[in-house]
Amino acid sequence: MRTLDVRGEICPYPMMKTVEVLRQTPLEEAAVLEVLTDHPPALESIPLYVSTMGYRCTIDDVGGGTWRIRITRAGC
Amino acid sequence: MNGRREPPVVSLAAGAIAALGATLVAGVLWAHAAPGDPRTGVFWAFGVALGFVLQRSRFCFASAFRDLFLFGSGRIMRGILAGLAVASAGFALLMWRMVPDPTLGMVAPEAHAVPLGLHLVLGGILFGVGMVLAGGCVSGSLYRIGEGYVASAVALMGILAGLGAGAHTWNFWWRASIARSPVVWLPAAGGYVGGLAVTFALLAVAYVLVVWRETRAGLPAAPSPVAPGPAAGSSLAAPSGAGLLDRLAVALAAVLVRGWSPTAGGVALGVLNVWLYLAHMPWGVTGELSRWAIGVLEIAGVGPGPLQGAGTLSGCALVGTRGPWISHALTLDVGMVAGAFAGALLAGEFRIRRPAERRRYVQALAGGLLMGYGASLAMGCTIGAFFSAIPSLALNGWVFAAALALGARVGVSVIRRIA
Repeated sequence: MRTLDVRGEICPYPMMKTVEVLRQTPLEEAAVLEVLTDHPPALESIPLYVSTMGYRCTIDDVGGGTWRIRITRAGC
Repeated sequence: MNGRREPPVVSLAAGAIAALGATLVAGVLWAHAAPGDPRTGVFWAFGVALGFVLQRSRFCFASAFRDLFLFGSGRIMRGILAGLAVASAGFALLMWRMVPDPTLGMVAPEAHAVPLGLHLVLGGILFGVGMVLAGGCVSGSLYRIGEGYVASAVALMGILAGLGAGAHTWNFWWRASIARSPVVWLPAAGGYVGGLAVTFALLAVAYVLVVWRETRAGLPAAPSPVAPGPAAGSSLAAPSGAGLLDRLAVALAAVLVRGWSPTAGGVALGVLNVWLYLAHMPWGVTGELSRWAIGVLEIAGVGPGPLQGAGTLSGCALVGTRGPWISHALTLDVGMVAGAFAGALLAGEFRIRRPAERRRYVQALAGGLLMGYGASLAMGCTIGAFFSAIPSLALNGWVFAAALALGARVGVSVIRRIA
């Protein structure tokens, strides 16, 4: 499992950096990329964008204005 | 929707009452600081409501334009179009009550119809680049300050500096372009029905263009539902057989905890804008900021001097006239910060956010400068020159929107280079 910490980043870098990581090294079957963000709009834009790349997301609210987005291959 | 932990109803209600109570008390105290103007309290309430709606729906004019080019998403832009439709109908009714026959040469008071020329296009392009660089427009920066974004405070400094710089070059632009440019107010030619028909037709065309962008980008027609992760607490749905308190808690959480859809946000902002016009004038942000920026420059002894013709313009033209530091327009701006703060606090989303890289601050400052200068040329920002100008049935709103889109497109290629 890989983790990407984009806390503190301004809009739209949380999404751009996530997409960049997935482009450079696409996720293998059953692999997970965890994105740690404190930017609420990223909770909408990241799932929307990565869905076009064949991924799906689950989101956990970890409190204090921070969320963990788990990205996996769709269908896994 | 997003998995969030549902706070217990008691602490949620207590928090809501405490935060809103404190906000209102602060507002009342503030309203007393400007005796003789009852509007300060009213505008404070409007500001709080606007900031709250912006925060809850994560509404962002900058991302609405930017995301169309960044990845073809029109999510927020569709919300803006809905808000514009609501506000256009409301504005038309209000203007019709004030000026029953618009073909006689008088523009409805306070309508955001301003001279249409090169200055407006240039202002829109500069503003569009700036808002993408800074990660938010002027209203976006105000509400994100309320959410705890340090970079947005830096952007606001840039905006104020840009407005000050704009004031220093105002007279040049006035002579070169603004004074020579016509005001194109649609009802003057086609009456209110004609003006509304053209506006709705353009909104429909814009909607189709946005959906076309989304189709081309291969985005899902409906946002893919996001499953709550394994660590999420109880879901936000009340099980059947739930008690009254549980159901109320779910309803409250839907408003206070979960993010709203952009359409809900856009419509709410459109309605608030109509009510603002009903109370006094359409929603605007930068006019008051310019008054402060110019006031500070004057105190420092480097004021721009008299601004030719600025006082004759509507919209959010630069305000060089001195008045009390605290005005109703200021309570609106500061209320937006407070409303967003209350919204973020209640949702458990408030957090001091500092970018890890120093260059982000430079980026925010530069973006702010471009926005401030652009707003001085365009006589408004994404609010005054766009979200209040299109419902005013003024052509300048559409021209500014097109320039914003062009600027946002340039901005996207700039931010891609400074990843």
